[in-house]
Amino acid sequence: MIKDITFGQYFPAKSIIHRLDPRIKLVLSLMFIIFIFVAQNAVSLAFIGTLTLLFVLISRVPVSLFLKNIKAILFVIILTSVLNALYVTTGNVLLEFWIIKITADGVKRALFMSARIIILIISSSLLTYTTTPTELTDAIERLLKPLRFIGLGEAVHVMAMMITIALRFIPTLIEETDKIMSAQKARGADLESGTLFERIKALIPILVPLLISSVRRAYDLAEAMECRCYNGGSGRQRMKQLKLAGRDYLSLAVLVVCMSAIIAFNIIF
Amino acid sequence: MDNIIEVSDVTFEYTDNDNVSTVLKNLSLSVERGSFTVILGHNGSGKSTLAKLMSGLLKPDSGTVTVDGITTADEQNEIEVHRRVGMVFQNPDNQIVATIVEEDVAFGPENLGLPPNVIRERVDSALKTVDMYDYRLHAPHKLSGGQKQRVAIAGIIAMEPECIVFDEPTSMLDPKGRREVMDTIYRLNKEKNITIVLITHYMEEVEKADRVVVMDSGEILLDGKPSDVFSQVEKIKEIGLDVPQTTELLYLLKQNGYELPDGVIATGDCVSELLALLRRENCGNTEC
Amino acid sequence: MATLSVENLTYVYGEKSPFQKTAIEDVTFSAKSGEIIGVIGHTGSGKSTLVQHFNGLLKANSGKVLLDGADIWENPKEIRKIRFKIGMVFQYPEYQLFEETVYKDIAFGPTNMGLSAEDINKRVLDTAQMLGITAEMLEKSPFDLSGGEKRRVAIAGVMAMQPEIIVFDEPTAGLDPAGRDIVLEKIKEYRDRTGALVFIVSHSMEDMARVADKLLVMNSGHLSMFDTVKKVFSNPQKLKKIGLNVPQVTKVFSALKEKGIPVDENVFTVNDAVSYLLSFLKGGKNND
Repeated sequence: MIKDITFGQYFPAKSIIHRLDPRIKLVLSLMFIIFIFVAQNAVSLAFIGTLTLLFVLISRVPVSLFLKNIKAILFVIILTSVLNALYVTTGNVLLEFWIIKITADGVKRALFMSARIIILIISSSLLTYTTTPTELTDAIERLLKPLRFIGLGEAVHVMAMMITIALRFIPTLIEETDKIMSAQKARGADLESGTLFERIKALIPILVPLLISSVRRAYDLAEAMECRCYNGGSGRQRMKQLKLAGRDYLSLAVLVVCMSAIIAFNIIF
Repeated sequence: MDNIIEVSDVTFEYTDNDNVSTVLKNLSLSVERGSFTVILGHNGSGKSTLAKLMSGLLKPDSGTVTVDGITTADEQNEIEVHRRVGMVFQNPDNQIVATIVEEDVAFGPENLGLPPNVIRERVDSALKTVDMYDYRLHAPHKLSGGQKQRVAIAGIIAMEPECIVFDEPTSMLDPKGRREVMDTIYRLNKEKNITIVLITHYMEEVEKADRVVVMDSGEILLDGKPSDVFSQVEKIKEIGLDVPQTTELLYLLKQNGYELPDGVIATGDCVSELLALLRRENCGNTEC
Repeated sequence: MATLSVENLTYVYGEKSPFQKTAIEDVTFSAKSGEIIGVIGHTGSGKSTLVQHFNGLLKANSGKVLLDGADIWENPKEIRKIRFKIGMVFQYPEYQLFEETVYKDIAFGPTNMGLSAEDINKRVLDTAQMLGITAEMLEKSPFDLSGGEKRRVAIAGVMAMQPEIIVFDEPTAGLDPAGRDIVLEKIKEYRDRTGALVFIVSHSMEDMARVADKLLVMNSGHLSMFDTVKKVFSNPQKLKKIGLNVPQVTKVFSALKEKGIPVDENVFTVNDAVSYLLSFLKGGKNND
């Protein structure tokens, strides 16, 4: 059933990574992504790869889920590899025909780039698998709080509120789209055949009702929020306060150590 | 008498492409603190507009609406009005803001800027009151209609209002959901002493009310105890509303010359009246 | 004359996924032109899933739907043609209106059928007239109509296709009593005029007692009963067990019988109840 699609990729499990403060997780993920680009040689990248694998194991999220995400962008990985292999023409020539010349350096470069992309995917999936969309939104809102000093406090709140409402209503709208499609199909609407133009035209009976219903929902929701004393971000208090725990400081420390190691590897090797 | 809501001489007009239609005409109504009032009327009778005026969502064009003595027309009183009179709407989906049940219930108290531990207490207690505590970590879109509506109610009671206005809260629910929501509403009135204004066109929801107000074309047509209002079967039918089957049955028998009381609503009462009638008429002596 | 037969129909949602759920299992029945069949069952009993198989919006995992003896999926490319013969009006159908004018919206189905402009015009006008949609309304935007009017326009959009079989999923949900009465009356009129086979999915036993000839009772994906209204309602214990009810007046009669009054329990509408009681009171005895 379409409404069973879980939005976002959160995978509920009990691990220390799941329990980390979402702000810390977000900061660490960003740091980690920087690592990936800082790593300049095979040794540092291998080190990052090992770390990533370790985190995946700690997270207790099935490895197959990560593989699924890699598979989804396999095309990008292959394309990058091929382009890199063709672009780098120094080193021992392994293969040459017509205008194509594959060298050892090119292959190395291709492997290095693919590894980078794969690690990038795994580490960002790790964030979304272990953090709910709500936690993420919350983390973004709170991390951006200092922006209120330059008069952007309300803007940050509004953005976070918009993301929350979008996350709340996406499943509802998916279900509604499903219903409207069935209803128009029952009136003989043909959504599956015809030229591109005809197919786009055939979407009108679905898009118009969907738009109208979204506007109605937005209007209803605004009234409901007003009744619940909503008055923007000012004066609002949150039930769930985020507090950094020992594990958060620890993970931050671990990452700083790793960062230093990578820089050292970059210089040594 | 202590009234929580006072609507006095209110007129409300709705303008659409230069067409002015009067939704409410010089309407006055006061709601007693702790009471259970049902407002009946067909679609377009002005009952939803009245509900929104009472909860401060709309401001009267003329006349005044006060909540706990506070005038709703003054923009500055908005928050004070909303925290005293909560409102629950027809479509359960369109009033839930957050992606997790307990965070949604916390939305109102968060807006009031209460301390986090107080919010937590109120959220837990509100969810227990509507019997949804076990679902506090669920995603709202996976709940049934009745459950969603109870979450919406919890979101209102977490603000600890004096009064809740319900605008057709059961009209999109199945019978089970309808029962769950009605039971919750009765409980709020009896146990928490919250004033209830319930707008509906389901006659069976009237039975336990203290007072019934019937609206037609922006005016109050009937106002009184359920049994008094439902003795006016003809008037109610005239404006396109129903009466409960029990009321109608006894009414029609009475039309045929049998002596029966007006405005009987409960099934049990109807049965006892019929038994008494059959005994009086001594139906054929042999069987009764 | 059309006959719809359902043979051993089984449908599983999200097969081989963690959300796998058998929605209907081994359902078999057959119905023919001229009947109004009420499809009842609590939410999640599979009644909406069942009716969506009739016109191929869902395809069963096993079992068949036969229209006049031919499998509707015999030629999957022709499934659209089946949808012209078996119409379906969804819950809250007014939410699928999309055209600029009421006329165009009603014409959407007939246009998809590939009829001539003349035919389309005739069908739109005839259907509009039957449903009390005035010439003035036909030129309006459907979004400017009242809730009850929108509902009728949406129903007209399906009726204009003149299906031999027509399915209504909770056609009266959310309407006030007057709106509900009109819709039920128009459904009956369509059946009388065209001799179509009509299915109405409903939660209202009172409505079903008024319009249905037969009831198809679903319970946790299985066909629990398929019989005349009288036979189904004469088994209130069984209905209660699967979370359904009988009309309020039927409850009154059951209670009378329990108290030792020899009344017939098979009374489902107020009018029947009145005439029955009148003759019972006069004759002192009534066995019919």
